[in-house]
Amino acid sequence: MSGPAPTILIVEDEPEIRRFLRASLATEGYRVVESASARRGTIDAGTHKPDLAIVDLGLPDFDGVEVIRRIRSWSSMPIVVLSARIQESAKVEALDAGADDYVTKPFGVGELLARVRAALRHATRSPAGTILGLGASRIDLEKRRVTREGAEVRLTPVEFKLLACLAKHLGLVVTHRQMLSEVWGPSHVGHTHYLRIYMKQLREKLEADPARPKHLVTETGVGYRLLADEA
Amino acid sequence: MKGYVWAALAVAACTAAGLALRERIDPVNIAMLFLLAVMVIALHFSRGAAIATALAAVSVFDFVFVPPYYSFAVNDGQYLVTFGIMLTVGLVISGLAESARNAARARAALSVEAETERVRSALLSSISHDLRTPLAVMSGASSSLAERGEQLAPAERRALAESIFKQSRDMAEVMGNVLQMTRLETGAIELKRDWASLGEIAGSALDRLAGRLAQHRVMLDLPADLPLVRVDATLIEQVLGNLLENAARHTPAGTLVRLRAARRDAELVVSVEDFGSGLPPEDFKRLFAKFHRGGGEAAGGGIGLGLAICRAIVLLHRGRIWAEQLPGGGTAFRFTLSVDQAPQPPAEEA
Repeated sequence: MSGPAPTILIVEDEPEIRRFLRASLATEGYRVVESASARRGTIDAGTHKPDLAIVDLGLPDFDGVEVIRRIRSWSSMPIVVLSARIQESAKVEALDAGADDYVTKPFGVGELLARVRAALRHATRSPAGTILGLGASRIDLEKRRVTREGAEVRLTPVEFKLLACLAKHLGLVVTHRQMLSEVWGPSHVGHTHYLRIYMKQLREKLEADPARPKHLVTETGVGYRLLADEA
Repeated sequence: MKGYVWAALAVAACTAAGLALRERIDPVNIAMLFLLAVMVIALHFSRGAAIATALAAVSVFDFVFVPPYYSFAVNDGQYLVTFGIMLTVGLVISGLAESARNAARARAALSVEAETERVRSALLSSISHDLRTPLAVMSGASSSLAERGEQLAPAERRALAESIFKQSRDMAEVMGNVLQMTRLETGAIELKRDWASLGEIAGSALDRLAGRLAQHRVMLDLPADLPLVRVDATLIEQVLGNLLENAARHTPAGTLVRLRAARRDAELVVSVEDFGSGLPPEDFKRLFAKFHRGGGEAAGGGIGLGLAICRAIVLLHRGRIWAEQLPGGGTAFRFTLSVDQAPQPPAEEA
């Protein structure tokens, strides 16, 4: 990463959780700003202009989803959500409200740091013009060209749109709703079966073992995630 | 209210029977028919219905069957005796029936209480074992790090920290299971059905359990034309996860664990099969009960909620779940999901 160290805002009411977040984010060289409430976090997001926000969903004063909505009303900064297992539906709500990814408590820092890195990368880089490697498959988004072991793979227009939609959020989860809305249009957001059928087709064309996908990953109950080989 | 309707019907039936038989039997025996009606009503319905039956029975009997026919002009005060007897029989029987019903209710309540008590003490003993051990490890390892950290070799420090991490993961799982069981039992979980692919769910469950299954050979055996299912994918993934975990826990390293599905009419039968030593026959009955642990505590870990959670989730989907002995000696856990025809996405011009 070039330029000054990215600043990360933590909106989390539990001081013990803030403590280990602060410690592990610092080891990666990030600057850390901490807010202990939703209200404070919304203000700090405006005054500190962080490069990324980590928002806990269970805040005492008001809902973390509301924090995300307020930040999204003026900023496209990446947001990673911390959710407890009990908040399964709140997690999807947070993602649809504009959060970029989530980590479920309890989590290991390795998982969180990976999400943070992917979200920061997403914010600073446009995926067009990059060539993605998915094992033996290569995807050139700009030229709309897909190969597998060097041989051309023919994707239907919808398959390509779907792949491009996931590639736009490389490494990050994309909800069913976002995918359906982007590929088929907002009137199709309830048609999850389209995704099931097309993701199967895509995996058969791109994955080495379509039953155990390594790149077109299922996030059960939430959406999908595209994982590319590290460039 | 229902009792009164039945009372009217019973009296009407006795009247009809009495009219049919009046040439052949004495009025006394016709009165017995009415007494029978009072008994039956008193046995099954309220005290009020029994009194009403007795009243109606005496009136009808007097009016229809006692000369002068079709009038109440009775010189016979003796039918007051008939009424008195019928009333007494009605009251006594309805009283007996009532106390019998109360006793049955109390017995039922008592057995529910006993079951709740059994579950509660099992929960306490599980929790104290399954949480106390990891807590002991965590406090020991973390205090070693905090107080003696500088004197420890880096590799040792790392091992301690990793064991804290692992124990906390296990503990989170135990807590998650207890919480999930409670939510399933109190109806706090609402099913979010949506079109889902069993293949995706299975792939995701296997990934999640890759660590636990590392010592086993895993085989995923799904037909290519598996239809989509309308299920709560998160919950079905949990069912598969629990069944796979169970298989990993109770069978020796190196054995095969097979996840398969087959369509059978309007159902999908999903199976997790293991090739361990199988289960004792008496275990099959209690397998899905809460806090049942296969193979005793020695089999290691597990609070005995995994299969109970599976059962609750499958039932919520209106499916069936059961275990079978496999011919080779292993065990198959199977459950069903109903299949609906998923609509096709709009066709694409290629």
